[in-house]
Parts: sequence; C-alpha cells; structure tokens
Amino acid sequence: MAQVKLTIDDREILAEESKTVLEAALENGIYIPHLCHHENLHPNGGCRLCVVKQEGVDGVITSCSVKVKEGMIIRTRDELAEKIRKLSCDLMFKTHPSECVGCPKYGKCQLASISQYIGDGGRDLREQKIPAQNDESNPLMVHELYRCILCGRCVRACGELRGVGALKFTKEGGRMRVSVNGNSLEEAGCMFCGACVEVCPTGSIRDKVGIFKEGVGRELSLVPCMEGCPANIDVPKYIRFIREGNYPAAAAVVREKAPFPETLGYICTHNCEMQCKRSHLNSPLSIRNLKRFAAAQDDGSWRERAVRKPDSGKRVAVIGAGPAGLTAAYYLKKLGHEVTVFEKLPQAGGQMRYGIPSYRLPREVLDREIAEIEAIGVVIKCESDVASAAELKASGYDAVFAAIGTHAGNKLPIPGNDLENVYLNAEFLRAVNLGEPMKVGERVVVLGGGNVAIDCAESALRLGAKEVHMACLEAADKMTASDEEIEWAKEDGIHIHNSKTFNEIIGENGKAAGLSVTGVKNFYFENGKAVIEKEENSDEIIAADTVIFAVGQHPDVTEEFGLALARGRIVTDGGTRTSAEGIFAAGDGVTGTQSVIKAIAGARAAASEIDRYLGGDGVIEEQLAPEQDANPCIGKAAGMAAMERVAPAVAAVETRTCSFAPMDFGYSCEDAACEAKRCLQCDLRVQIAPQKFWSDYAGEEGGRQA
Amino acid sequence: MKKLLVCSCAADDGYAPVSMHLMKERLADVVAGVEKYAADNEAEILYLLAEGECVCGLEEQARYSAVSPVLGNPYAVAQVLSGNLPRPMIRDDFAAEYEGREVMVLTPEAAYGIQNGFETRFTAVNRDGKTTVEEVKIGTPLEELADVTDAGAILLGGLRGRFVTPAEYSGMKITAEQMYSSITIYGKDACIVDVCRKLAQEAHESSCGKCVLCREGSSQFGQMTAEMTTGKAKITDLALIREVGELVCAGSYCPFGQNMPGPLLSAIELFSEEFEAHIKKKTCRCGVCYREASTYIIWPDKCTGCGDCADACGEDAIEGKSGYIHMIDQDMCEQCGNCVSACEEGAIAPVFGKLPRLPKKLTKVGKF
Repeated sequence: MAQVKLTIDDREILAEESKTVLEAALENGIYIPHLCHHENLHPNGGCRLCVVKQEGVDGVITSCSVKVKEGMIIRTRDELAEKIRKLSCDLMFKTHPSECVGCPKYGKCQLASISQYIGDGGRDLREQKIPAQNDESNPLMVHELYRCILCGRCVRACGELRGVGALKFTKEGGRMRVSVNGNSLEEAGCMFCGACVEVCPTGSIRDKVGIFKEGVGRELSLVPCMEGCPANIDVPKYIRFIREGNYPAAAAVVREKAPFPETLGYICTHNCEMQCKRSHLNSPLSIRNLKRFAAAQDDGSWRERAVRKPDSGKRVAVIGAGPAGLTAAYYLKKLGHEVTVFEKLPQAGGQMRYGIPSYRLPREVLDREIAEIEAIGVVIKCESDVASAAELKASGYDAVFAAIGTHAGNKLPIPGNDLENVYLNAEFLRAVNLGEPMKVGERVVVLGGGNVAIDCAESALRLGAKEVHMACLEAADKMTASDEEIEWAKEDGIHIHNSKTFNEIIGENGKAAGLSVTGVKNFYFENGKAVIEKEENSDEIIAADTVIFAVGQHPDVTEEFGLALARGRIVTDGGTRTSAEGIFAAGDGVTGTQSVIKAIAGARAAASEIDRYLGGDGVIEEQLAPEQDANPCIGKAAGMAAMERVAPAVAAVETRTCSFAPMDFGYSCEDAACEAKRCLQCDLRVQIAPQKFWSDYAGEEGGRQA
Repeated sequence: MKKLLVCSCAADDGYAPVSMHLMKERLADVVAGVEKYAADNEAEILYLLAEGECVCGLEEQARYSAVSPVLGNPYAVAQVLSGNLPRPMIRDDFAAEYEGREVMVLTPEAAYGIQNGFETRFTAVNRDGKTTVEEVKIGTPLEELADVTDAGAILLGGLRGRFVTPAEYSGMKITAEQMYSSITIYGKDACIVDVCRKLAQEAHESSCGKCVLCREGSSQFGQMTAEMTTGKAKITDLALIREVGELVCAGSYCPFGQNMPGPLLSAIELFSEEFEAHIKKKTCRCGVCYREASTYIIWPDKCTGCGDCADACGEDAIEGKSGYIHMIDQDMCEQCGNCVSACEEGAIAPVFGKLPRLPKKLTKVGKF
C-alpha cells in the first residue's frame, strides 16, 4: 500500500493512502474529537466535531471523510474548526438531558467525555429537550431516546454492519428521531445481536440491567454462555460451526477445553444455558444437545493439531480416575510427564460411571473418551486403592494429584436412619452400576431434590419399585435438579413432595416402613444451619419399605490420607496446592459435590499448576479447531425471535422406566440445524471496537481544548 | 459496476418548483436530455418525482419521494430509493449504490440543458401567493422578470438564498447560480420577522437531519424567531443568531446547511430596526405578530395569594406563596391558560402589547 506524507499540527506523518485524515491523526496519537465516526462503520460526517483546517482550502474539511493526500497540511486546532466543534457540541447538548449523574451511562458516555474535552461555548441557546420516549417492552434492550443525539451509529450498525435494518430514521413533527422499523423489535426483524447498544455513545440504547455480568472482562461479559461455563468453552464458536455443518470442527472447539465432549453432551449441568441471553427472549439455546450432536460426529481430525510436548522425565501420580483425575492426567501427559492414575473401583470414570446411571450416559460413550486418554499413554491402574497420598508421593513421584471425588453419601441425623432398607445415594447408585444392585421394595421414598435424588428415584423405578416418592425441603420452583429431569421424573410417575422437613424414618420390626414429614412454610440458612418454619398440622407419613438418602455426598477420606482436611474435604491454598509439598488436589474432593464440567475446569487449573511445579510453562491451551471467519453481516431471518427451543426425542415412558438403556435420543441433523439457528451470536459484539475516549488515545499531548 | 441515472425532481426548494415545472411543460426535452446522458454513461434510467405528482408516460420509470434539498446527492437518492429518509454523503472515492448499481443524479434542468444548451435558466417568481416559472436568458436583468417598486422585502434563492435591497436588486442579472432559481417578493404589509420565522421553520423541516449544525441550528433559529414574535426573545439573540449562523454556514456538512442561515442573516442585516422593535418594544409595525400571542399576567390588585394558579400550572411557571401576590415567570410560561380558569378571582388575563407595572419580588397581598 502506497504511503503519503502529510503534516498534521506541524508533525510530519506517513500514512497509507487509503486512510482518512482522522484515522491518520488518531494512529499517530493526535486526537481529533469525533462522535458519529466509529471504526467499524463507514464515515458519516454528521457530528461536525472532526472538522479541521486544511491549508489552501476555504473553511474546514470533514476529517473522517477526507482521505490523506501527499503534502496536505492540516491544523486540528484551527480557530474556526474549534468554534464549529464547540457549537456542534453545545447544540447536541441542547436536546440532551443536562443531568448526567442520574444516567446509567454516567462515566462511560462519549458525549460527556467529548464535551468535557471541547468545553462549553456558554451561548444562550435554547433548550429543546425531546419528550421522553421510553421503550422498555423488549426484554433485552432499553430504548430511552430522549437521550438520543442522532449520531446514527445504531442505525448504521444495524444496517450496514449487520445487514438487518431493524432501526431507521424517521421524522416526527419536523424532528428527526431513531425508530424501530415496525411495531416492535421482534417485528422489525431484530436479531438481538446488541450491535446498536455497543455503538451507542450515550445512554439512549442500553442492555437491560442483569443481562450481562460485570467485572469479568469484556469478552466474557458480552458472551454469557462462555462466562457461565466453568471451563469457558467457546460456545458461540461451536454453535456457528454446527450451523455451517462442520460438526467435527464444533467437536474440536469443545475439546479445546475438555477431554469429554460427548459425555458432557449427555450429562453436563449446562451452566451455559442458564446464562444464555436468549432465555430472556423466550427459552435458552439447547447448548448441551447441540454439543452432544456435534461430539457424536467427531472424526478425530483435531488430533493433528493437538499439542504433545517431549518427555520431561517427571513422574506424576493421579489418585482417582474420575473426570478431574482423567482430565489432569490427559493434560499432564500431553505436557510430557509420565502419568499413572490409581483407581479404587474396577473401572475408570468415577461418578460418570458409578454415579450417573447408564440411561443418562451410555457407557460406550464414556469408554470411547477414556480410551482416547489412554491412547496417548496415560496408564490407569484400576482396583488400586491409595491409602495415603503422602506415601504415594514418597514412593517415587515428582508430583501427586488427588482427585478423590465424593463417594460417600450423607445421612441426616433423624431417628430411624440406621434401619435396614435405609440406603445412601452414593452406595445405592454405585451398586447399581457395579451390576450388584441393592434390593428395593415396592414403595421407595428418596430424601432429596437434586439431580442425584432423581437418579436414585429413577434407578429404583427401573429396579422394579411399584411406587416411587421423592421428598425435599425445597419448593417446586426451587429444586436444584434440572427442570428437564424433574419433568421426566413426573412423566415416569414419580411423586414429588415439595417443602417437607423430615421428622423420622418409622420402623417396623427393625425395617423401614415409612417417612414422617412436616410441611414447610419457609426456610433459610443462618450460620450454615437451616432454619425451618413449619406449617402447622401438616404432619404426614409417606409409607415406604425402602428409604434412600440423597442429601449430599462427601469425600471418602480420613486424616490418614496425609492431607489437611476441613469439613471432610481436602484443603487447598486457593489454587490447587494442598498442605503437602508436591501434592495437588481439585474436583469434588475439594469443592464438595459439584459437576463434571467444574471438575474438568478445576483439573485443568491443577494440570497447569503441576506443570509449572515440575518446571514447565503451565500452558495447556491448544487450538484444535480450524480458524473461523465469523461473518458480522448476519442479515434478517424471519421469525428469528419467536423460534422455540427444539425438544429432543425421548423414549416413551413405558419403555424407559423398565430399562437402563439410554432414554434421551438427542438431536437429529435437522433438529441441530434448527436449534443452532436460534443462537444470538453474542460473540459478534466482541468484534466491534470498544468505545474509546479522548484520554485513551496515545500521546495525550492534546489535553483540553482551550 | 452497472450504472443507474436518476433524474431527481424532488430536490426543489419550495420557492422554486422548477423541476416539476419542467417535467410537465418541457417533458420531451428533459427525457431526451436524460436519455442522451444515460447513453453516454451506459446507465439505466429512473425518475424520482415529488410525492403526489404524476407524469404521464413515465409511470414505469417513476419513483416517488418527499421533496428534500439533499436529493441532488447520489447517496441521498439511493437512500430514498431503498425506503429510507434521504441523507447525503460527501466522501472521497465513494460511489452510492442501489441494487448493485452505481447511482448518478441529474436534475431536470441539467437534462434540459444537455438537450437545449445552457444559455437559459428557469426562475420562479413568487408574489402574492402565486408562483410563475419562466425560462430566461442568462444575463437578463432581474427587473425584467419582476418589478419590485412596491416590495417590502425581496428574497432571492428561497431557503438557500438571501434578502436583497431594491437598490441591489436593480443592478442584478440572472446567472447560473442557485440563488437565481427564485425571486420572492414580499409586500409592505408582510412582517419581515414573521417571514423569517416561517423560513426558519421551513428550513428545519427541510433539513435532512444528518448534520448537527443544520438540524439543530435551524431548530434554534426557528425558536428564537418565534420568540421574537411573542415577546420572549432577548436583544442579545440578534448577535447570537449572527454568530451561530456564520458558524453554521462555515461548518455544515452539505450546501443546504451552508446556505440555510442566509435568509435570516441577511434579513437581520437589512431590517435590523424591525427586529429590534419586535424584541425591545414588543411591537410589530405590520400588526402581524403579537396579534394572537399574548402575555399572561396576574393583576397584583386582584390576586388574593391563594395559590390555586400555581397548582394548576403544569410548567411550574408561577411563583408565590400563601398570602403573597403570585407572579408568572414569562420565560417558562407556555400560555396554556390553565391558570386563568383556575383563578376564582379572575385575576389572571392575557394582555397585549405593553405590560402593566408588576411586582418584581414576592410582595404581600395589598402591599403593592
């Protein structure tokens, strides 16, 4: 690209000939005020703030619209230009509320910043406030156009950048305004990309409060699904690959952050979906089902991009072959360390195999993903109980990673809790998955309202129970189990008793015969203890011959393990270091029962920290997916706002309740294509240049205009 | 890229409806000129007509738009063809596009010139509410077109022009400039301040709204001149208009904005006594202004200090407290009349012209 030489404010500057005078100045640290200009949009020239003097030209020129030319002499501080700027700024303020402090954009407003730079002309111009035209009808965006200064950036972003055109200029009573091109944003074909909000210099168009988290950095804040995922998987990127039909690439994106893409596709607690911006519009994107669909189409093409470092000569022992242990083992092996995993149970997988029932996660999926880990040379020794982490370390390992999980169930201190036929969640599910299920009677009651409680109830049903009840402290809308699981449980005929406190397990001849409960009006936690307000005269007995506690789990560990414990869990330093030198820990054993994805995220942090401990750089990030060219011009898609979440195909109640075979068949190709189209592509907003203020430009020689 | 030649007939100033005149009276010549120009540029042809107009034989090639002074700009034309409001774009190496074609714009007058040469131009004469458009040779003295012996004021060039004195007028000849597209003659019974108020209002309505100086400048001029006709304006407003007007001329984005302050600035220059009389003496020599506009006052001898008027005022323009004579802040008063009906004593009334002596600070009832 040819370069031209020009002079701006007595400085000689070289600039590419395609640049405008404004661009050349800004790139060289010379600030020229500008407002309607935005680097992602075409030049506009309407705000009149960027006017400058060009020697030999009458009047002023519009620096955002004029290209640099050889020999140009520009003065940004010309008297006439400064007067024009000041007048333009004054005029804008005459239609804009003068009180800044009450504005939600206070402190981040470009208009305020510019007027501070330019200063007040002090003229006796007339205030011409625009009558308030608030539109809060949309769940995602607020339009408060009485703050609008008509720079037109929103209209241009929506039209020229996105190709949507949901906003337009109109004239009402001779006065210009920005309007929605229809009766509502939905009707106007709005794609809810947020580009208008991103470019608005004032507080006129804003995100509703609570849509985005603050204090997590711009990228994560603007992409809530990615922020919600403990492993920060780049969700919009793989959804886009799915929309493009490139499923292996989508699977590779997931694998960049987690070595269990397909398992997660079946059982992830999908925090991403809870954060999905679309849930404010109608219902969140079914991200997990899309992940599952893509992961099933994985062709392994990511392997050629996978990082493998040369042998380091260091040996690492991992205790526990659950999601945390296997993830850490996988990354540590890739970083060149020799890794041996010790597993107490007969097979690897941890809770993925011995907690989660097989009707939710087919074992061949799990086997396939574990085989991938073993294929790179991770050695897994099953049926090898480790009594002491410290002793294991001493036996010849440079580092030890303890990922012991929470394999012991909690028992509530109520009368009758030690009767025969009273089981604990962890043991009950483990027995089922070991192929030696505990005996269940005809009427089963499960205490608890989480996903594990539902697993216990559904498993009991599949083991032949005639009637299954669940009782929990939480009200129906506060249960911790996912909505989908609750719905399926109800379809399967499981009775859920909400807002109950447990009094005792009633025994008959040493065996459990029922559960005595009382209704709960309200409960809250004080100093870690539940305070319960009981409903009067609401005692009730749920008859049962089998009782299962599903009220939490804890690590199956004692002080003899050689690590400091607190409340039964392994203590770490805030990172993943334990009390013992060279021994690290993460996953449920540290955090208490959480989720597979949290265990994976924790293990990734641990792998990185262990690598650094062993002398490596701790970098485990890798790019497994091909580059993606995310097209910012999304165009209009009719009915986009109204598209409903696609429900996966599931087995009929009659067939699913008598077998441990998978019941949720996931998405078909058409389903996935359809669901992927619902994505609002929040990540596109990150591409838009963040708003800059005069103080952000280099040099700062400018300072305040006189 | 393919080209599209748009013959824009919607860019006329309301004072010079030359384009539609040509489309009706000289259609064959305009069409021939457009076709010649299109053939030279290998362009397809569209005619952009003023809304509500109809030209027989052009129905298929016709598109319609509200009249706007920026519709000589190709980008603005492309915008209205796409169903948006017109907004001009003036930029280095930039082509306006509409449906994959580069937009070129030609006015009917230019098309007529291509066909018949550029020795003449069309000029509109507005007098007594009537408009006539005439073809005149360049170089013709303006006096031949319109006699101004009885004129109170002469405006050349409509919203983009300026007022001239009869003396200046008598020496002027038609040239190709925009300023000579119209001659508007106001009789001696027309109030120049009121004329300027209307012109400013029309300028604001004509402004495309893209550029701050033109959009808000015309709006400010509209409000200030309106205030001159109702007694709210200050004498310093004249200097303010002069200062702001010059900056708007220098700094506006397009030729419309750069010329829009012309009529008002020249009027203030030529008729400063009229403006000062309106502002200072609150009188209108022609009796046009202050006729409807009135100032509401509270008669100090009738007010009982009850406060009902202050409660009724939506603008919070009435000052006072219980037992004190209430006062109307004229800067805030919107003349809605609510206070008049709220006052049981009948102490509030509109007055015309000179105001009676009123309290300037809070005064007890009966002490004034």
